[in-house]
Amino acid sequence: MKNALFLLTWLLLSGCKPTPKPIEYGADVCAFCQMTIVDRQHGAEVVTKKGRVYKFDAIECMVNYVAQQGSESFALFLTNDYMQPGALTDATAATYLISRGVPSPMGAFLSGFGNEPDARTVQTAKGGDLFSWSALQDMRQKKGFLGPAE
Amino acid sequence: MINARFALLCFLFLAPAFARARTLEVCASCAYNTIQQALDASRDGDRVLVKAGTYKEPTLRITKKIALTGENYPILEAPKGQEILVIDADGVTVEGLQLQNLAPHYLKDLAAIRVHRKGFFRILNNRLINTFFAIYLEYAHDGEVIGNTITGTAVNELSSGNGVHGWYGEYVCIENNTIKGHRDGIYLEFMHFCSISGNHSEANVRYGLHFMFSNDDHYANNIFRKNGAGVAVMFGKRIGMTDNLFDYNWGRSAYGLLLKEIYDAKIERNRFVQNTIGIHIEGASRVAYRQNTFQRNGWAVKIAGGCLDHDFSQNNFLSNAMDFVLNGRVNSNTFDGNYWSEYTGYDLDRNGLGDVPHRPVKLFSYIVTRTPESIILLRSLFIDLMNFSEKVSPVFTPAGILDQQPLMHPIS
Repeated sequence: MKNALFLLTWLLLSGCKPTPKPIEYGADVCAFCQMTIVDRQHGAEVVTKKGRVYKFDAIECMVNYVAQQGSESFALFLTNDYMQPGALTDATAATYLISRGVPSPMGAFLSGFGNEPDARTVQTAKGGDLFSWSALQDMRQKKGFLGPAE
Repeated sequence: MINARFALLCFLFLAPAFARARTLEVCASCAYNTIQQALDASRDGDRVLVKAGTYKEPTLRITKKIALTGENYPILEAPKGQEILVIDADGVTVEGLQLQNLAPHYLKDLAAIRVHRKGFFRILNNRLINTFFAIYLEYAHDGEVIGNTITGTAVNELSSGNGVHGWYGEYVCIENNTIKGHRDGIYLEFMHFCSISGNHSEANVRYGLHFMFSNDDHYANNIFRKNGAGVAVMFGKRIGMTDNLFDYNWGRSAYGLLLKEIYDAKIERNRFVQNTIGIHIEGASRVAYRQNTFQRNGWAVKIAGGCLDHDFSQNNFLSNAMDFVLNGRVNSNTFDGNYWSEYTGYDLDRNGLGDVPHRPVKLFSYIVTRTPESIILLRSLFIDLMNFSEKVSPVFTPAGILDQQPLMHPIS
């Protein structure tokens, strides 16, 4: 009986624990711009502290959405790794590249990398600048909106 | 005397032109066995005629103003990881070729035909089969893409590229192409003053046609059928959309047409048939909708927040599950003079206009917006009663959204 109660409580609590969900490419829709998510290299996802998942077709959409909603309500930030299409990695620890040589779905030329050497490799090949997660937020704040770099 | 001089002048100017207009034939038994050899030997103004056969050659780069023409659709392929054809000169024509089998690549957007920073190109009547990106226009201007058949075989494969991909450019005409089984049938980003007409875009994974950050474009007489969603027009100004057919764009979040951050658009004489949502509008301003027909859609028009100055008139709303859904604050929009198959009013003075206003927004549509699962009650008696009582004495539905002059007969 006690065990059953424990199990029930655990189930209830774990139900609300923020866990990431895989992005269904080709079916899921971006929570910010309504576009269908198909690009496996530029998708992103946030999970709220209550466990609700919002998915994005581009990192710039995630950054804009988080700024719009206020970042305090979110528990997890995830981004696709440009070098491993389809894989999600911790967005707050990722390295970002803004390069005219690598277009992203919403025109910000922004890609994320799980580890820095990969980002440097692509930077050497395609040009551009590297950013951290917090530098990206600062940039959004300065520009008001992450979008086409024109 | 003057005539003789003129003739001499003509001869002097035109002689080099006549001398240059050569045709270089390519086939197994011709003077040139590979297309590359013929390209190397060609000069501006020449025609390279490729006879039927299979040509597997490294990327062919056209650097002269020539016409590359195929006879009976010769087959062109490239080694793995390479593009087939790159247009790297102004005034190039590519016609009648079959380009095929280009494997997807994650880090490079490989294309069957690429135009790179050039203009005055003509890509006519080619067949592109199972190519990752079929036609890729980057910084391209003043060109024509006409009559091509573009078929991606990877229908559910999400690593597919776009059929016609435009990235920076202007004055491109995309006409009478058939595009199937790609990511977006036609994708245009930063492309201005383009015309897209008479195309058939079907069964593409994402959109039939997709505009991003593009202004002053016009698309007309196209068919968008059974795509993930029909057409997305995002972040653009002054886009014209006329005489298109959007049908069977059906699915969880599918729509015929998505308008997102659009200003000054004209949407006229289009037909929206059997889509989950006919038009989904978000953050768009100054849009005029005239003489469109919405038939048998789940939602004919769904307007989310931030929409100003939408003007609907002379449209037909026929047998949609819901004609209008409004979500969030919606200001200064007009809905006068449309035909609504749901209209139950009368016309005593017989002037063709209903004597009582029509309210296109049902109370139930609000409930569905809040709680999507309640859609299963759509045809229940209770909902009918609720909608009816709301119609008789409106409490929840906004007063501003009504058609003062509903038509008694549909617009033909």
